[in-house]
Amino acid sequence: MWKVIVAPLAAAAFCAVVLLRFGGGGETAAEAVRAIALTEATGAANRVAAVVLDVRLYDTLFELFAFAMAVLGVRLFLRTSRVASAETIAESHVVRRAAQVLLPPALLLGIYLAIFGHLSPGGGFSGGAVAATGLLLVTVALGADALARRFRDCWLERLEGLVLVVILVLVLLPITWAAPVASNALPPGRPGRLPSGGLIPIYSLLISLKVFAGAWAVIHYFVRHRGEV
Amino acid sequence: MTPGVVVAILLFGLATVALVLRRDLVFKLLALGMINGSTVLLLVSLPRAHGTTAPIGVGVLPTTAADPFPQAYVLAAIVINFALLALALVFVMLLVERYHTTDARRIERLVREEEER
Repeated sequence: MWKVIVAPLAAAAFCAVVLLRFGGGGETAAEAVRAIALTEATGAANRVAAVVLDVRLYDTLFELFAFAMAVLGVRLFLRTSRVASAETIAESHVVRRAAQVLLPPALLLGIYLAIFGHLSPGGGFSGGAVAATGLLLVTVALGADALARRFRDCWLERLEGLVLVVILVLVLLPITWAAPVASNALPPGRPGRLPSGGLIPIYSLLISLKVFAGAWAVIHYFVRHRGEV
Repeated sequence: MTPGVVVAILLFGLATVALVLRRDLVFKLLALGMINGSTVLLLVSLPRAHGTTAPIGVGVLPTTAADPFPQAYVLAAIVINFALLALALVFVMLLVERYHTTDARRIERLVREEEER
């Protein structure tokens, strides 16, 4: 039994030694200059967004594929098994009303995070996750049926596939005219303004839609499988 | 070593011990989530080791801004963690439906008994 305790502790100690020896020492002035040049090159005030959606756009594309694969896996494994009987627990009046009140602000905050992702902390993934949290709240309070009534099943599933195809085309089409990254298809604009950063806000919006639809599908399949949250 | 890095290393060790020692599958998944959280904390706090500011904003000076590249890796960690947890939870649900327990050792024993039969 002592081995299973000592081994992780030894691994953690090794990590600590490596970090003490090498961690945080690699930042040079050249890297910092490159970081500020990112804003001028892409027009995005948020340099992390500039890295994620411009310099490493293909990496983000494959992250989106990983997300889509997870949603597909959940759908595949839960669709074939039984569908639970749709018996809903009667939540209290306060919880139900609170969920109804909190859903619009959650959706609004998600859209805000997606649209302003290139100016301030946020972005497509977090925006979609926040909006999907609103959906989870409604599912907890009102049950799966209310959610299914509010968002039609087939409609969101089609949206999910369509958004993935649109992003794929937007990312891969510029290869045909030998532009390495599609963000330069639109002018970078003035950093700090809302319409800046080229295609970065559009990518953010599409990714948030994809994450929203995917998270909704995961919630929906889990709830439909169990019958309750 | 900023406080964030120290906390990240401690959390990582704690979560790894929990991942190995806890027998409940759901607790194992919680420990996996904790490992992911400590990794994210490490990635965010490492470039801030020299008292730099966040790399967000128009007027941030190049010498005081943190390197945005490690922070961009956080996205990969979060997405992979989501995919991992969602799929693992599905498998736990399927196991629970079949064996009616989340105890890893009990499930292993039940599987062995089924194979012997």
